[in-house]
Formats: sequence, C-alpha cells, structure tokens
Amino acid sequence: MREILFDQQVQILSNRFFLPGHCLMVLRAPLSYGSACPGQFIMLILPGRSVPFLPRPFCIYGLAEEPECVRLEILYRVTGEGTDSLSRLHEGDKIGLLGPLGRGFDIDPAAQRVVLVAGGMGIAPLMRLAQAYRFLLRDKEFPIICYLGAAAESHLIGRDRMEALRADLRLSTDDGSTGHRGFITELFAQDLPSYRDSNTMIYACGPLPMLKTLAHCMIGSGLSCQVSLEERMACGVGACLGCVVALSGEAPGIRYGRVCTEGPVFSLSEIDWSVQDE
Amino acid sequence: MNKPDMKVTIGSLTLQNPVMTASGTFGYGEEYAHFFDLSRLGAIVVKGISLAPRVGNRPPRIMETASGMLNAVGLQNVGVKAFIEEKLPFLRNVGIPVIANIFGATVDEYVRVAQELCEAGGVSALEVNISCPNVKHGGLAFGADPRSAAEVTAAVKGVSSLPVMVKLTPNVTDIRVIASAVEDAGADALSLINTLLGMSIDIAGKRPALRNVTGGLSGPAIKPVALRMVWQAVRSVSIPVVGLGGIATARDALEFFMVGARAVQVGTANFINPRATLEIIEGIEQYLLGEGMTSIDNLIGALITVED
Ligand SMILES: Cc1cc2nc3c(=O)[nH]c(=O)nc-3n(C[C@H](O)[C@H](O)[C@H](O)COP(=O)(O)OP(=O)(O)OC[C@H]3O[C@@H](n4cnc5c(N)ncnc54)[C@H](O)[C@@H]3O)c2cc1C
Ligand SMILES: Cc1cc2nc3c(=O)[nH]c(=O)nc-3n(C[C@H](O)[C@H](O)[C@H](O)COP(=O)(O)O)c2cc1C
Ligand code: FES
Repeated sequence: MREILFDQQVQILSNRFFLPGHCLMVLRAPLSYGSACPGQFIMLILPGRSVPFLPRPFCIYGLAEEPECVRLEILYRVTGEGTDSLSRLHEGDKIGLLGPLGRGFDIDPAAQRVVLVAGGMGIAPLMRLAQAYRFLLRDKEFPIICYLGAAAESHLIGRDRMEALRADLRLSTDDGSTGHRGFITELFAQDLPSYRDSNTMIYACGPLPMLKTLAHCMIGSGLSCQVSLEERMACGVGACLGCVVALSGEAPGIRYGRVCTEGPVFSLSEIDWSVQDE
Repeated sequence: MNKPDMKVTIGSLTLQNPVMTASGTFGYGEEYAHFFDLSRLGAIVVKGISLAPRVGNRPPRIMETASGMLNAVGLQNVGVKAFIEEKLPFLRNVGIPVIANIFGATVDEYVRVAQELCEAGGVSALEVNISCPNVKHGGLAFGADPRSAAEVTAAVKGVSSLPVMVKLTPNVTDIRVIASAVEDAGADALSLINTLLGMSIDIAGKRPALRNVTGGLSGPAIKPVALRMVWQAVRSVSIPVVGLGGIATARDALEFFMVGARAVQVGTANFINPRATLEIIEGIEQYLLGEGMTSIDNLIGALITVED
C-alpha cells in the first residue's frame, strides 16, 4: 500500500497569478512527497466547512526536494468558486492537503524518445513527467518532444520550463499568434508515423475533445499513449465511486474505472471513447 | 478523571463506541486504512451489496451543492460473492463489528443476499437499505410505502441469524408511519436518514448536472432534516435508532444523541476529512468529560423540551 497523507495545516509558500485567470501555488509538503510519481495528483481542502464543500483535485506540476520539506507546485485555472477561493489565499495561509493520489505515468527506462502532447493546463502533469525523465535518465541523451497547444501565444504555459528541460517544442494556437494555427493534435498527427522507428513513449493531457481526437489519430499507429483524465471527485481515494470513466473491453456491457485510483493516468486504449461526452 | 464509557448496544450488537461509517462513503474500509487505525471505530458499514454485481450509472455521478453534494452512483458494487471473497477478509481482521448494507430490486433478492452474508461469517449485522425502487411495484421505493417496507423487513428478518437494522429513506410524507411499520415487522433497529432526492442544473450547458438527472443529497445541508426525522422516529418506536445525515463534527453528533439516537453514522464528511470519524469520537469523549458524564448513556435522549 502506497502511503497517502492527509494534513489539514499545510503552509502555502506562495500563490500568484502568472496570467489573467491562471495561478501557480507552491505548498510546503512533507518530505515523503519526494517519492510521488509523475501523474499522481493531490486534493486541496479549503478551510471552513461550507463553501466550497468538496476537496479539489490538481495535478502535481513540479516538485523540489529541500532539506526539510518538498516544494510542491500546482498550476491552476480559475474556473469556479473553488479555484476562485484558492486564488485568494496568501503566502503563510494554511490549507488541507490529501495525497499523493492515484496511478501515475509509467516511465520506461529504455525509452529512446519521449513525446508529450499538452493542451492548455494539460501541461501540468507532463512537466513533472519531463522533469522525472531528465532526472532518472540523466546519463542518457534522448529527445523530449513537447506538443503544446493553447488559445493564444500568451497562454502557452510552461514554455520556458520545458525548454530548460531541453524539450523540443512544437507549438499551436487557436488564433495563430504563434506556431501552427489550429489544434495541437493536427501537428502531432503529421509526425506520428515517424515515431515508429524507435522506442517512443507518448503521453498526453488536455481537454476531452483533444484526447478524443488523439485517440482517433492513434488507431492503427501501432503505438500506445498514456493519458491523464479528469472527472468530478469527492473522496479521491476510491471509496465514493463518483469519479468513474467507461472502460473499453471485450466483455459486453459497460465497465467503469475510478479515475482517482485506477487513474488518473490510463492507457488511451483502456478508455471507451465512444461514450465520452464533452 | 477516567475516560467516559462510550459503549452502546444496538439490539444484540455491542459497539465500543457509537460512531460508525455510513454506507457508500467509506468503501470497504481499506480505502481509509491509510489515515487512522480503523479498529478505533464503533463499526464499519460497507457499501451497499446486491446479489449480482452492478455497474452503476453513467457519469457524471456527483455534483457539489451548497454545504453538500448530490450523488447518483447507482449502487455500483461488486456483488455479494465478490464481497465475501475479496473484501470481507480485510474487514474481519480489523476486529470491530462489520455491518453489511444490503439492497435488492425484489424481496427475494434481499433475502438471498441476507442468507449469503449470514452464512459467510465475519459480518456482525445487516443494514437493509430500503430506499431502492421496488421493481414489482412500478419502481416506487420499498421504503416509501409502509406495507412494502414491512414486507422486506419481515422477509430479511425471517432468514437472518444476525441483527437486522433497517435504513429508512427520508423521501416520505411521514417517517413515523414507516418507522412503526418496520418495527412491527421485526426490525432490531432503525437507521436514518438516507439521502434526500435532489437535482442540479449546469446552466451553461442547459443540462442536468448529473447524467441520471436526479441524485441523493447528503452532507451538512441535510442535517436539520435528518435530526428532525431521527427525533420523530425515536418518539415513534422502542427499538434503537441510529442517526445520520450531515454529521461532520462531534457537535453535530451530540445533537443526534440528545434527540435519542443510540449511535451515529458519518458519511459525506469522510470525503472532506478522512479522519472525521476519529475526531468525532474524541470530541464526544471530551464533551462527556466536560459535562461530568460517566457514560454516553447519560447523553442519549437528554434533550430538554418545554411543553406548553
Ligand atoms: C486528477 C485531476 C487533476 C486535475 N489537475 C488540474 C490542474 O493541474 N490544474 C487545473 O487547473 N485543474 C486541474 N483539474 C481540474 C480542477 O480540479 C477543476 O478545475 C476544479 O475542481 C474546479 O473547481 P471550481 O470550484 O473552481 O469549479 P466549479 O465548476 O465551481 O466546481 C464544481 C464542482 O465540479 C468539480 N469540477 C469542475 N471542473 C472539474 C474538472 N475539470 N475536473 C474535475 N472536477 C471538476 C469541482 O471539483 C467541484 O466539485 C484536475 C482535475 C482532476 C480530476
Ligand atoms: C457517494 C455516496 C454513496 C452512497 N451509497 C449508499 C449505499 O450504497 N447504501 C446506502 O444505504 N446508503 C448510501 N449512501 C447514503 C449514506 O450512507 C448516508 O445515508 C447519506 O449520505 C446521509 O449521510 P451524510 O450526510 O453523513 O453523508 C451513499 C451516500 C453517498 C454520498
Ligand atoms: S473520487 Fe471517490 S471514488 Fe474516485
């Protein structure tokens, strides 16, 4: 059993907007977070007991081990009441932290190429993954190719940090302000056939329509892809059965998997994309 | 001063303290073993069990609401066989009473699940969820009609060697009528309330927030309703009543004891604080100490009302 911690009094080290509507929060997490796998997530519980009510799930964007704590970074978009309340917290405030949770990405030590496909905030778990690859395979030289898509150039989050990890960036924007004008999956699909020549690991995270398109692209490619999914959650630990996603399978009838425990990372082919609504 | 006596009895079942987990909010126990020593609980009530496994409803299944949440999980569960083989061994080892919550679409299904659980060994009591639709009665919940509530109670009681606690739905006009019918049918105890039927709309998409359209409301939002119903039930029956609905703190639990609940269950609060049950147990002990009460019995039904 992997350790899951619950601490109601975790200190916020910083919390700031880096773009309108987008924040970076740094938490003072316990040392054991150093062994959290890329792709695992946490839940934040706001102080008080009414509004907002349930914990909010977030991916781990970055981890930095220090002598007495781990600096845990989350990247979040203000989309509703919970994230709005989060954005109003300050350095020194305390917050509840549950984690690390879920099944993260599989890392292949024999990977010869790592391909990341990120849409918008989908960069969050992939950044941590790129960081982990560079650290674990630090004696090896291998390309990390990162497809990064957003609405506009200013929203291409994590560009600098990816570059610092020596990632080869392929950009797209909806408005064409930089890179390819259109969807990031279009760029990725063009290059996909060339990824069959060596041991390539492909990972993706982003909005549901992007993942659905990706699932379509991957059919017949002979390659597999791991994706990080989102679903509304209550407990985060597999108890409430609230966060399910339909799984694909040979057996007749629907079968559900819990995103919080069987995921949030799934193999693209494990998911029944035909029933996923936008 | 000595620790107060927290022991309570519910029919033939003795609990070391009166705090249990509510069905469907604590999985099969293992999910929460990370956070505290489960053997400190009064009892564990597990996720509802049916004869055959159930896949449950399509997502989205949950939605946050003001001080609460809606759920339409659709009673997804592994089925009684897998429960006994895969989940029960862990629970037996915890060393506290395990209460199996059961449900069915027909009286016969309830009976067969009850029989299998009684034979399995390691289960201490049955909690019969009568909030489910009765297939033979046009889908009206068993617990919404005194006759079908009594029928399923008597049938389960008839085959059970274990104490039978019947869990009432609050979605009725008069809870007292149902409580009495279930008592007369032979129930050893009552637990209430289950979730209140509710709804929420995603106005941007002009769609129901839940795929199932309606769902069950739980959490602090329902506590006043739950408390009122427990108070009414306690005054209508002489069997023990277990109170639940919106309990998140020791103070909440104390209110239920004062109106006469013999024990409490903690549900949705586990999601916000996985150690909620433990904190509630400790909080009750502290309250009893502060009040100079030597036993939880001093508190149960201690409500003072002025009749005029
Ligand atoms: C495993 C996982 C990882 C995530 N990682 C990130 C991340 O790194 N950065 C980020 O910005 N967002 C992330 N999200 C989405 C984030 O949890 C939601 O944006 C957030 O919960 C919205 O809360 P709110 O109160 O502001 O919005 P509201 O819409 O007011 O929330 C209402 C309810 O719906 C839930 N909800 C709303 N949107 C989502 C969503 N997309 N996914 C799951 N639940 C949702 C809320 O948790 C809440 O219970 C992640 C979600 C999951 C499941
Ligand atoms: C996600 C979820 C699943 C539930 N599943 C069951 C169940 O299987 N059987 C049952 O009798 N009650 C079930 N309940 C109802 C709870 O046991 C409890 O009666 C209700 O939530 C009110 O208590 P609370 O406000 O403390 O949560 C469920 C509740 C929730 C929130
Ligand atoms: S959030 Fe409760 S099972 Fe996943």
